[in-house]
Amino acid sequence: MSEAQLSNALSGAVAISGVGHSDWIADYAAVRGGTKPYDSFGYAALAFKRALEDAGIDKSEIDGIVSGPPTAHERMCEVLGIDPNWGAQADAMMGIQAAAMAIHSGMCEVVALVYGNDQRSAAVNYGGSNAAGGNAFLSYIYHAPWGFTSQGALYAIMLRRFMHDTGFTEADLGQVAVAQRLHSSLNPNAIMQKRVTIEEYLSTHYVTEPLHLLDYCLINDGGVAFIMMSAERARRGKRKPAVIHGIGRHDLSRDATSLVPRLTNFYRPAQKKVAEQVFNMAGVGPRDMSCLQIYDSFSVHIPLALEGYGYCGYGEAAKFFADTGISLERGLPVNTSGGHLSESYMQGWNHQVEAVRQIRGECGARQVPDCRYVHYSSDVAGKALSIIYGH
Amino acid sequence: MVTREIVVGSSSRVLGHYDKPMWESISNRKWALQYCPESDSFRYPPSPICPDSLSMTYEWRPIKGTGEILSWAIFHRKYFDDFPPPYNTIAVRLDEGPIVISNLIGPEPEGDWIGCRVEVVYEDSGGVTIPKMRLI
Repeated sequence: MSEAQLSNALSGAVAISGVGHSDWIADYAAVRGGTKPYDSFGYAALAFKRALEDAGIDKSEIDGIVSGPPTAHERMCEVLGIDPNWGAQADAMMGIQAAAMAIHSGMCEVVALVYGNDQRSAAVNYGGSNAAGGNAFLSYIYHAPWGFTSQGALYAIMLRRFMHDTGFTEADLGQVAVAQRLHSSLNPNAIMQKRVTIEEYLSTHYVTEPLHLLDYCLINDGGVAFIMMSAERARRGKRKPAVIHGIGRHDLSRDATSLVPRLTNFYRPAQKKVAEQVFNMAGVGPRDMSCLQIYDSFSVHIPLALEGYGYCGYGEAAKFFADTGISLERGLPVNTSGGHLSESYMQGWNHQVEAVRQIRGECGARQVPDCRYVHYSSDVAGKALSIIYGH
Repeated sequence: MVTREIVVGSSSRVLGHYDKPMWESISNRKWALQYCPESDSFRYPPSPICPDSLSMTYEWRPIKGTGEILSWAIFHRKYFDDFPPPYNTIAVRLDEGPIVISNLIGPEPEGDWIGCRVEVVYEDSGGVTIPKMRLI
């Protein structure tokens, strides 16, 4: 079979049938008050119980596990009491891709994907000479002798170049934070529920200029889990499944430490390839999407993804914000839960929960009417990955 | 809103197996990068193999120390004890090809910094020589 035929064989084959997560608001308040409700395994375990309940299945049906960092896979299996036929240590995006392949190939039938992170109470550093992830992504630590550190700085220097090349402004970028706060104000699970205006956004301080405080994601404790199985099996379950119609990935790791793909092409070649993969696989295009969920460790991901995946032309993100819009009030809603900026920073895991709930139609005040397809996109440190969810 | 200050001590170099010769060349104020004769290219940061030719043979060749600012960012938050904010950081495309991160010292351009030509200046800091940049 050709690459395209193989991919198409996976289209519509696998679904998410249950989701669960910890109590982000209560845990955020507790940690800020000096207490620690759970460790990383505990947050994951709570989310796992809730995902099983949501899917309406028994633990005994689980025969595959994906454990997200930072929890070790083997210990996670021990804690949950599961001896699987298949498993992997992977982040949300790579985990879903791996689980889809494992289910479709018959390695296992029902996969639990679990994630717990006590990053706030454990005071995990995302900047400095001991920044988390520095071993995998040398750019996080390599430029410390010049004071250049933190993932935010990598996006700040990328944004500056993007502004130079396209005329995009700080006020344009502020539309992202404003729209996502509108969304989180309609989301009872979101940590930040107060709406902000563009004037308030611009008046917040810079962290690494040109990025303002509200361009940065939250740092909070929590856990997320979901249950994946064949779409056929999921359709027999108690919940409406969110079926994966397209999934694809392309990495740009070449010269990543010296920031070449960030500064010279904004990861556009990777996003272009992934757009072709997933839209062809799903048989749909950008115009068919009801909403987008975009990995937003920083707000700048949103204009870059809209351009990279073909929702508008290169250099046209500001025009897209103005003419079309990215909020539930107008246009193509992006990050309908509030995302990492305003709902919870669960490193891509909470975006899947929102995608599933939008497909099911259970999002209440923030529900996108007649939600048919949801595009999830992430480009984290050069790994571009997309999923098209649908019915 | 409470903002946390991440203080993790002083900045430190990554000194992997292939980094040490480069930092020695910087101490001697003649910054050298790995050069692959087979692909006729410089690479940075130092690494075991040329990603183009897959040749593991290389020479340490001094660079001219000149280049062009590709982008810049200003730090307003303290990450290191030895970098009190605010301070600037720049990405420079060296004339030899690789991109390096540095700091611009001396006069700063007004408005857009991108496209400005710079040259290396060696600065001693805490017993270590660090290559910085200034406008030319």
